[in-house]
Amino acid sequence: MLRRTARRDRMIGLFAAGAVLLNPPILNLVGGTVFGWPARYLYFFLAWAVLIAAVAVVSERGGGPADERDRDGQRR
Amino acid sequence: MSQPTIVVVAIAYLLLLFAIAWAVEHSSGRISRLTGSSIVYTLSLAVYCSSWTFNGGVGKASQTGLDFLPIYLGPTLVFCLAPLLLRRMLRISQANRVTSISDLIGSRFGKSASLAALVTLIAVIGLVPYIALQLKSISSGLIALSSGVMTHSLAGSIMLDGAFWSAIVLTIFAMLFGSRSIRPGEHHPGMVVAVAAESILKLVSLTAIGLFVVYGLYGGFGDLFTEAGKVPEIRMIFDQIPAGYGYNWISMTVLAALAVFCLPRQFQVMVVENVDDRHLNRAAWLFPLYLLLINLFVLPIAFAGRMMLPEDTDPDNLVLALPYATGHPMLALIAFLGGLSAAASMVVVETTALSLMVCNDVVMPALLRVRRLGLSSRSDLTRLLLWIRRAAMVVIMALGYMYMRHDSAQFALVSIGLMSFVAVAQFAPAILCGIYWRGATQAGAFAGITSGFLIWCYTMLLPSFARSGALDINFLVDGPFGIALLKPYALFGLAGLDPVTHSAFWSLLINTAMLVAVSLAGRQHPVERARAAMFVGAVESGEAAQIWRRTALVPDLMSLTARFIGREKAAAAYAGFARSRGVDPATAVQADAETVLFYERLLAGVIGAASARVLVGAIVEEEPLGVDEMMRILDETSRLIEANRQLEEKSQELEAATGELKEANSRLQVLDRLKDDFVVTVNHELRTPLASIRAFSEILRDHPHLPDEERLEFLRIVVTESERLTRLINQLLDLSKIEATGSMPAQRAPVDLAQVVRESAAAVQQVFARSRVELRIEVEADPAVVIGDRDRLVQVVINLLGNAAKFSPPGSGRAVLALRRTGRDLELSVADNGPGIRAEDREVVFERFRQLGDTMNDKPQGAGLGLAISHRIVTQHGGRIWVEGAEHGGAVFKVRLAAAPRSRARAAERAGGSYLPA
Repeated sequence: MLRRTARRDRMIGLFAAGAVLLNPPILNLVGGTVFGWPARYLYFFLAWAVLIAAVAVVSERGGGPADERDRDGQRR
Repeated sequence: MSQPTIVVVAIAYLLLLFAIAWAVEHSSGRISRLTGSSIVYTLSLAVYCSSWTFNGGVGKASQTGLDFLPIYLGPTLVFCLAPLLLRRMLRISQANRVTSISDLIGSRFGKSASLAALVTLIAVIGLVPYIALQLKSISSGLIALSSGVMTHSLAGSIMLDGAFWSAIVLTIFAMLFGSRSIRPGEHHPGMVVAVAAESILKLVSLTAIGLFVVYGLYGGFGDLFTEAGKVPEIRMIFDQIPAGYGYNWISMTVLAALAVFCLPRQFQVMVVENVDDRHLNRAAWLFPLYLLLINLFVLPIAFAGRMMLPEDTDPDNLVLALPYATGHPMLALIAFLGGLSAAASMVVVETTALSLMVCNDVVMPALLRVRRLGLSSRSDLTRLLLWIRRAAMVVIMALGYMYMRHDSAQFALVSIGLMSFVAVAQFAPAILCGIYWRGATQAGAFAGITSGFLIWCYTMLLPSFARSGALDINFLVDGPFGIALLKPYALFGLAGLDPVTHSAFWSLLINTAMLVAVSLAGRQHPVERARAAMFVGAVESGEAAQIWRRTALVPDLMSLTARFIGREKAAAAYAGFARSRGVDPATAVQADAETVLFYERLLAGVIGAASARVLVGAIVEEEPLGVDEMMRILDETSRLIEANRQLEEKSQELEAATGELKEANSRLQVLDRLKDDFVVTVNHELRTPLASIRAFSEILRDHPHLPDEERLEFLRIVVTESERLTRLINQLLDLSKIEATGSMPAQRAPVDLAQVVRESAAAVQQVFARSRVELRIEVEADPAVVIGDRDRLVQVVINLLGNAAKFSPPGSGRAVLALRRTGRDLELSVADNGPGIRAEDREVVFERFRQLGDTMNDKPQGAGLGLAISHRIVTQHGGRIWVEGAEHGGAVFKVRLAAAPRSRARAAERAGGSYLPA
């Protein structure tokens, strides 16, 4: 039960982090170019990729099939 | 490239997709199990990326830079919440056999036909422009590829012809994929796999073009961006408008986040076609990853397009135009097929979902109400259902075509798509409140959705007509009747936002406000409250059935259901249900409330909740349920849930307490056993010498004439035994004294262990001589200063030496006392060549009265207190004592103590004289 809440809370945390980091005004702090690349393009895709990786780690770890079935209780 | 060639390739591609779908639905091998894979599920979610992503995204990027990205950021964020929000939606929808977004809202708010119909109407009106957009993109791609004309200003008639034919072909495909047969639950595995295949092609195609542009036309990303930086207009996009992105970015993110579960096609693939809700966990990151990958090359392609193509190229055609203009028609064809995949999958899934909604929530309830048609008595309605759906598809596509013909040339792809996003976002407040808030009422949902939709019409739809000339343009500029406050793009004076953000803000704000306000102000009928509780809590069907005490005859229900889903499927489903409840399906005639609910849900899976309720309502007898009784059931249920929760908590606490008690108890038992042992041993140890002293004393008293020799011998024994007794009592006193002082040694002064060793050896010399055991002393560390109590340390060494003397075989016995430095510690060891100590006993020898071996047979050689005392002394000095096996079978006792810091050690050296043995 604890694990489920922990995972849920982590996902909410990632949601909040993504919402803040990938939206203005934080997004507007990045500008100009880095090694000739548009810095905002680089920042957006990197932050996006990191967010996805974090979601992957949280949702794939500690959720084996048996575990899932257990937690879902009654199923269709 | 000639137009017929392209058309043939396109049709062949669509036929191939259909073949895949057909194979999935008709084979039983591996291919039919594809729908059970989370990868296929994720790829089918990618139907989100329509031709809008494929062509429109690049167009937008070439104009304004990065702000096509919020459309994909929104879904990414929502999928972070998959375990909360989406899973809940999925669970509730599956429990209630929901088949569409209108069904979800309709069945939450009282299975009301009118609300579901309203939602359907809004969805159709809102999505017609979106479908028109797909037609436009296909036809402009077709023309661009066949004629090489890439500009906006296409000759009207050719363009319309292309759109017309593509509309017809796509309608036929939608019918083939989406309405070939009626299935309970509305699963279309074939369609899902075909959509997944199209998603792969979309990604491959856009990535191929991207790689071609970046590495074929330029020398990699760095080169492309450097070149682009030299063009002033693109440079401006890099650095962006100084103000940066503002409300527009945020509103796009929010709209996309809502659209990803409110769009009928997304609901169809995400919820209705879902076969296993664990797939959602995988999709939570795999779907955002797909979005990231498909957008990776959008900006480079857009920049390259701006730099290499003439000014008047239609930005929405860049993906096609780039390979075409640089002499790679095959690549252009691949790009076209990618765009076609995007458009076709969107159109097919969207029209399937919409036709389902139109059929189940608008047409069927209306037809069933008209008694003259006598529908309720027709024997087979599956064909009718199918034809209604097909007709709905045709109507929807026709509307899309007409809208495109009328309007779409005015707008870029992105603006049209966003208009639809705002329309479907109107469902979000009702859905979110509906699944989380019991207090949301039907009236509230109705008011919210209606007002949101009206504001959308006023701020988005009417202006789009006005701009295309169907309405007076002054309506836009000055407001209706010249009232500036009501200007559609600056409602109530809210200016400075772009039309989409403006419309989204007002419509969602007023939608939510109306929903909440009307729900709070109105009263909820008990039945409505019960239904809301059931929905929000996803209650078991048995409990739900209790609320409506309906009865009917099984044959009636069976024949009703059979008309819609076929007799065999209905019979099989009922047999399964009856078995699960332990009822014989052949004999049961009277259907109780739960059975009625089962049939209603079975029907709802095919014709929607609203229609199913009407149909089942016609043949069941519904016992009126008093409000009091209603409340009783509700109260009882909530009380039970609360009590259950408390009980669970209590039992967990109890379990924890029991565990602690058990542990304490077992500790106590060990202590108790030790105490018993202690008493018995002390008793025995004290009694044995006492008994022999008494026995010999009595002999001496009673036989005064014993020979002197004997008398001396007896007296010697008495003296020895008394000494033993004294020693024992001393040791006991020592032990209790040490235990009383706790963890600190009695004195803390520098002590030279080397001297301690020599002194102790001198003291036990006699003992070793008597038992004929050789003692060797090896002092390697001299001086070896520690801090502690000198007398106690002497006691430890003497104890250990005494043991060695005792257990070494007389004559051949050899003991070694060694003192050496190991690192910062000093190690003292006493080795003997006696019988040794078994590995499992090495821990327990330090316990009080622990004597090894069988105490019944062996005469104990000592009180068994020496090691216990030594152990305590060493522990008090912060050291460690343990025993190891020696090489030749004896035992080695080792003591390790921390050496004193150098300064203290020198002090001890100087004062060395005072520590000489007395």
